Amino acid sequence: MKKILLVFSILLLFSSFSSENATTIKSGEKLVFAGSYNMSGLMTQLAQITMTTETVTTAKNTYLHLNCEAATYSKWDKFFKIRDLYESYVNPITLQPSLYKRSIDEGGYTKKEKYVFKGSQVNSTMKRKNKPETQRTFKVGASTQDVVSILYKVRTVDFSKFKIGQTKAFTIVFDEKEIPVIVKFMGNETVSAGNLGKKECHKISIGAKTDALRGKDKNLIWLTADSKKIPALIKFSIPVGTGQLTLTSASGI
Amino acid sequence: MRKLCLVTASIFTILSVVFAFLPLGTLGILPVVVALLFGFLALQKSDAAQAKFVKILLLISSVCLLAIVGKELLIKDVLAKDAQFEKTKIENKKEDKKELEALEQDLE
Repeated sequence: MKKILLVFSILLLFSSFSSENATTIKSGEKLVFAGSYNMSGLMTQLAQITMTTETVTTAKNTYLHLNCEAATYSKWDKFFKIRDLYESYVNPITLQPSLYKRSIDEGGYTKKEKYVFKGSQVNSTMKRKNKPETQRTFKVGASTQDVVSILYKVRTVDFSKFKIGQTKAFTIVFDEKEIPVIVKFMGNETVSAGNLGKKECHKISIGAKTDALRGKDKNLIWLTADSKKIPALIKFSIPVGTGQLTLTSASGI
Repeated sequence: MRKLCLVTASIFTILSVVFAFLPLGTLGILPVVVALLFGFLALQKSDAAQAKFVKILLLISSVCLLAIVGKELLIKDVLAKDAQFEKTKIENKKEDKKELEALEQDLE
């Protein structure tokens, strides 16, 4: 399950195309997904993934709070309870992150991570269950995103200008290291998008230099082919199996 | 051969009952399919006197299949209300705001 969530994050996060403005990302948006895992050939719904946006104001700045949480359905809680939180505070216009936090509780295993972005430097703090807190400072590229903000970044891109097979390289920071990611536009397809009905979507393949993803063009994300770029369907392939996230409801978009 | 099919069908029928009661969703169909498959094979290789027990196994597996499919269709997946998780989220927000303000001071 942990890998599923990682891949979910990666898929969402990594399908990043940058250099666009953030006009399509609104505060107050809420996207709800049903997460399923392929168990012996049968897709079984395990968890709900909720993504929300909210404006947060400090004395000097305004941020867009991007929140992604995963929770197993109640019937699974007795077997393997998951309560994960992935959060990012970004500039509402550029979507560059200032603070990224990850707090996971997966079957009793807990881990907390915090990245503070100070220009090209990141101060990270990590605390695993039953282990002392560790701190690190490392350099990242100017356009490096965190795993949450990257999804929103990709949604600001006009994919209609991409040719089939066109690729682009990106970088995200995850587990205190930068991971290069290749995103490939694979054309348009019509898929079901929850309460939005059937929608024409951009089909995008994600390849990352990480052991978490498996197979060529087997990790896919469908973004609605309109100005909203809502993730309607995500399919992933990892060393321990395959699964998918399907959009069940989208509001405030 | 009949004995092997019968033993396999019996084991998977028991598993079917267990899976039908547990909240395992469509995963519960797997032992049912195996139980039905070996149950029918055992039935083919049984004479009239031996068929009664096999028919009972098939009946139990079928009921399990109906129960699993019914649960999938009628019972909606829901999230439990988790007060601790909600509390964590609220506390996080307060911490985050302080963290952002500290960051702003550092960057000045």
